[in-house]
Amino acid sequence: MTSSGERAVSLRDVRKTYRVGEPVHALDGVSLEIPRGSYTAIVGPSGSGKSTLMHLVGCLDTPTEGEISVGGREVTALSERERTSLRGSEVGFVFQTFNLMPRLSALENVALPQLFQGVSTAERLERARTLLEEVGLGDRTDHLPNELSGGQRQRVAVARALVNDPALVLADEPTGNLDTETGERILALFDDLHAAGNTVVMVTHEPHVAARAERTVHLLDGRIERIEPAGEGRE
Amino acid sequence: MRPLEFLRLSWRSIRGHTLRSTLTTLGIVIGIAAVIAFVTLGASLQAGIIGDISPDDQRNLYGWAADEGIEGGPLAGAQPVFSETDLETVSDLEGVEAAYGYASIQTQAVSDGDEQVAQGDGLIAAGASYIREGDLREGRQFEDGEREAVINPAMAAQFEENVSVGDDLELTFLGGQTATVTVVGITDTSEGLSPFEGFEAAPRVYVPTDPYYGEAAGGVGGGGEDDGEGVRFVAIVVEAASMDAAAIDRARTAATDYLESPESDAGERLGEDQVVTLQTSTELLQQLEDILDLLQNFIVGIAAISLLVGSIGIANIMLVSVTERTREIGIMKAVGAQNRDVLGLFLTEAVVLGVVGAVIGTGLGLAAGYLGAWYIDLPPVYPLEYVALAIAVGVLVGVLSGLYPAWRAARTDPIDALRYE
Repeated sequence: MTSSGERAVSLRDVRKTYRVGEPVHALDGVSLEIPRGSYTAIVGPSGSGKSTLMHLVGCLDTPTEGEISVGGREVTALSERERTSLRGSEVGFVFQTFNLMPRLSALENVALPQLFQGVSTAERLERARTLLEEVGLGDRTDHLPNELSGGQRQRVAVARALVNDPALVLADEPTGNLDTETGERILALFDDLHAAGNTVVMVTHEPHVAARAERTVHLLDGRIERIEPAGEGRE
Repeated sequence: MRPLEFLRLSWRSIRGHTLRSTLTTLGIVIGIAAVIAFVTLGASLQAGIIGDISPDDQRNLYGWAADEGIEGGPLAGAQPVFSETDLETVSDLEGVEAAYGYASIQTQAVSDGDEQVAQGDGLIAAGASYIREGDLREGRQFEDGEREAVINPAMAAQFEENVSVGDDLELTFLGGQTATVTVVGITDTSEGLSPFEGFEAAPRVYVPTDPYYGEAAGGVGGGGEDDGEGVRFVAIVVEAASMDAAAIDRARTAATDYLESPESDAGERLGEDQVVTLQTSTELLQQLEDILDLLQNFIVGIAAISLLVGSIGIANIMLVSVTERTREIGIMKAVGAQNRDVLGLFLTEAVVLGVVGAVIGTGLGLAAGYLGAWYIDLPPVYPLEYVALAIAVGVLVGVLSGLYPAWRAARTDPIDALRYE
């Protein structure tokens, strides 16, 4: 781990304004701390700023105002190249649509992020194999994504997210394209990740998914409406 | 990122669209193949011809009279002006070893006993020293004034029983007259012995101009004519004393001065703008090489257009590929690929397409050039520096055509790319 702080992610009065004719405040003064090892769900209706928040936390974008640190490093101060590098090493993405490379095998997909970190091929494949075994796909390493079921693909994606041992795993509606039963298994996998000490941030609009997190951040119109701890339903 | 991994990933993408990639490289293949085939053929041709000039031949000057400034190869626009007397006088000039007429006499047939083969040309009348010792496989040169002939292996092989030294052949001229010659020698090659003949292999009989040229020229148009004042030659051969440039120039100047002066029969006959040209084989071949070079430049020009079209093809397909794979680019960037990684990946793909096209084109071109050289019976020469050049061109084409698409790919915003359907 490159960080020494207790917080995986920290946002201080973050604003993001898009100028498409009239300025649109996608995020309007958000401050949030995500401790290491925590499991946070981010919920909110469309247009509430969920995606923007995810892009900022995932180092894909920079805020118009305010400060963000990920894995103990200040994102706003970084060049694009440094931000990409930080994203590669500190953030693991899991997407709704899996987003695996179609022409790479499950093993190669999991090994891909480390390619950009300059890790040797043998080392990368070894690490990828271990992770695939951990998510229960030890026997599917050479399959292409289109030869795998939706649940299996998402497991590959989870393994890929973990390959660089990131400061946080950022999941965007990871069960959105899966049937309920498969979705449950993926959620169980996230529970395991959390139990193993990983920091998980999950963007979702389904209350039962959010309910598995330690706490839920409700967004509305670019602001945090409320933060509630798990299981209580109300603040 | 490692170059080998770049290559592996690029190759995977190219293999993912086999047909598309094949069609894309076709432009490069055709361009490179055309250049390589022609260069191979040209190099073989030059090697074949230059290899044929023996050191002995290098002191020979081949001459004819024609309008000044006329374009074309040996004998272009040549007039029958040189008389026997001229040749005798030239032979005696300072610096000239020998001088004799050259004529190709048209025939109907050549017979060996009862066996007759049709033969339209290939009967060559010249002076005795036209055939040099070194050119003979067996026998000796014919002697002037004797009814003797030297034949080449291709002529000997025309008859069922190979003709050998001592046999008699009957020549039937175009006018129907016949003459009998005794074969006294056989040359070691079937290729032409001078630029007048051309250098291709063909059956040939060599006879002395005296007496055969006089007999044949009587109304048969054997390349010269007899106007009652004795025969006139269209082509002559002047041998310099040695093959060094000064000796050749001395012989050339002496012969040309005399033949263009009113003292000579040739000089009398020359029109106002007509001049006597005397050139060595090497000088004559230079003209051939110039023509070859011109043709080569032309082919290279066409190939360059093909390469340009090919590059545009690669650039186009790479742009399509970048658009199609927007999402993949987004994924790679999300998992930590730098702009230069994405740039390198797409650039590698374009370069691989270019190099694969160049390699296939080089292979095809060498094969075509080899076949061509084999077909016209030339020693194949492989222009290896062009092979290296072709590969370099392949890389260059790949880089140039891939640069813009790769740059577009590298600049793709990962957020947009991940949203892209």
